[in-house]
Amino acid sequence: MSLLSVVNLRKNYGENKVLRGVNFVMEEGERVVVLGPSGSGKSTFLRSINRLEEPTSGDVYFNGTLITDKNIRKMRQDIGMVFQHFNLINNLTIMDNLILAPVKLKLMKRDEAIKRAKQLLRHIGLSDKADAFPASLSGGQKQRIAIIRAMMMRPKLLLFDEPTSALDPESIGEVMSLIRELADDGMTIMIVTHEMSFAREIATRVVFIDEGKIIEEGEPEIFFSHPKTPRVREFLEKVL
Amino acid sequence: MDGFFNKIGELFSTPEYINSLLHGFLLTLQIAYFAILMGLLLGTVIALIQTAKKSKLMILPKFICNLYVTIIRGTPMALQLFIMFFVIFAVRGFPQIIIAIIAFGLNSGAYVSEVIRGGILSVDKGQTEAGLALGLSRTTIFFRIVTPQAIKNIIPALGNEMTTVIKETAIVSMVGMYDLNMAAKDIGSGQNMASYIVPMVVAALFYLATIYLITFAVKQVEKSLRKSDLRVEK
Repeated sequence: MSLLSVVNLRKNYGENKVLRGVNFVMEEGERVVVLGPSGSGKSTFLRSINRLEEPTSGDVYFNGTLITDKNIRKMRQDIGMVFQHFNLINNLTIMDNLILAPVKLKLMKRDEAIKRAKQLLRHIGLSDKADAFPASLSGGQKQRIAIIRAMMMRPKLLLFDEPTSALDPESIGEVMSLIRELADDGMTIMIVTHEMSFAREIATRVVFIDEGKIIEEGEPEIFFSHPKTPRVREFLEKVL
Repeated sequence: MDGFFNKIGELFSTPEYINSLLHGFLLTLQIAYFAILMGLLLGTVIALIQTAKKSKLMILPKFICNLYVTIIRGTPMALQLFIMFFVIFAVRGFPQIIIAIIAFGLNSGAYVSEVIRGGILSVDKGQTEAGLALGLSRTTIFFRIVTPQAIKNIIPALGNEMTTVIKETAIVSMVGMYDLNMAAKDIGSGQNMASYIVPMVVAALFYLATIYLITFAVKQVEKSLRKSDLRVEK
């Protein structure tokens, strides 16, 4: 049984067809990098998996269960997400950002959650920021907090929506090495990014989306050195 | 100038005059107080409906709210007051103060709803998405994430709306109610002091003092809310 399977996913914004029937299967332990030109629908695809975008039609199965309006909240607890703009909760301290969901959803007792949060904070070297508010952190720090906030839930799948696009070059490095660490720990990851060398390094599989469809996918070595379709060849020539 | 101060002395030492003025002031405060309360309640409910997630169930309530806000904001307050007095509550013996409170409350509700709606929408949508992605319910997100941040944006404009209501109640003199504005005119008239300037200046000072107090209180609340923005590290 696959961890994630997406069947004929379509998404229209009025006349604009953003996703035109995406079929996709992902196994546990895989690290899939989603590439594609801007406006191709790759972020929409990612956001349709945990229903931040309501699909127009099509099914998403997670862990063998069809995601529906009824079970979506439960499903989201197992699907972590990291956003381009971090989206930390501004009126909560870093500690409260980390423990809000696990405590509120009764996945952990409060002191248990605090203990885990402290561990994770220590791990990323930001223990001293526990009582700080997000406004006082740098972009790279915010994004690393956002990543461990997702990890607090012990997700089975972690979605990254352009996690380094809003960061300065120095912070990009910090965030990438944290993602790399998660990858080394065996985390199942799907990531939309424009960082080609990072994609090549971290991916076990690359998926290329253009005009709302997956037009090519494969292992990174083959994808980057021997692209099959002219569209991918053209794209890689431009970005590499 | 001597005459002016003598007149002030006369106003404050003649029980009939000062009682009238205080009665008028009390009526102004009563109308304003209950209208503001009603406006806050109504405005909050409308704002919640307007910002609620679109669904079939919400189409009609959203439509009604939009219609209400459009009508209230698109017509003069004085006309709304007339309609309340001479059309909707044209019943002999119905307490005038209640009609006035309803008229001003309904009016304020529309403006308050816009203020609250703006405050809610000003909270970055990404934080709601982060909450959703973590599996939190919309209720939790609303109370733990959106509301605390929206309130900071809402308070100053809400203070402004309160002072507007207090000042606008002065038009109840147009339907013959004896508020502070009417009292000033009455005391100044020929059969009383026969001079408008003193009672009117005094009435203005009463309004001014009330507004000043509210503005001051709102500023204090604003300040204490802003402290949490600066509270960066322990």
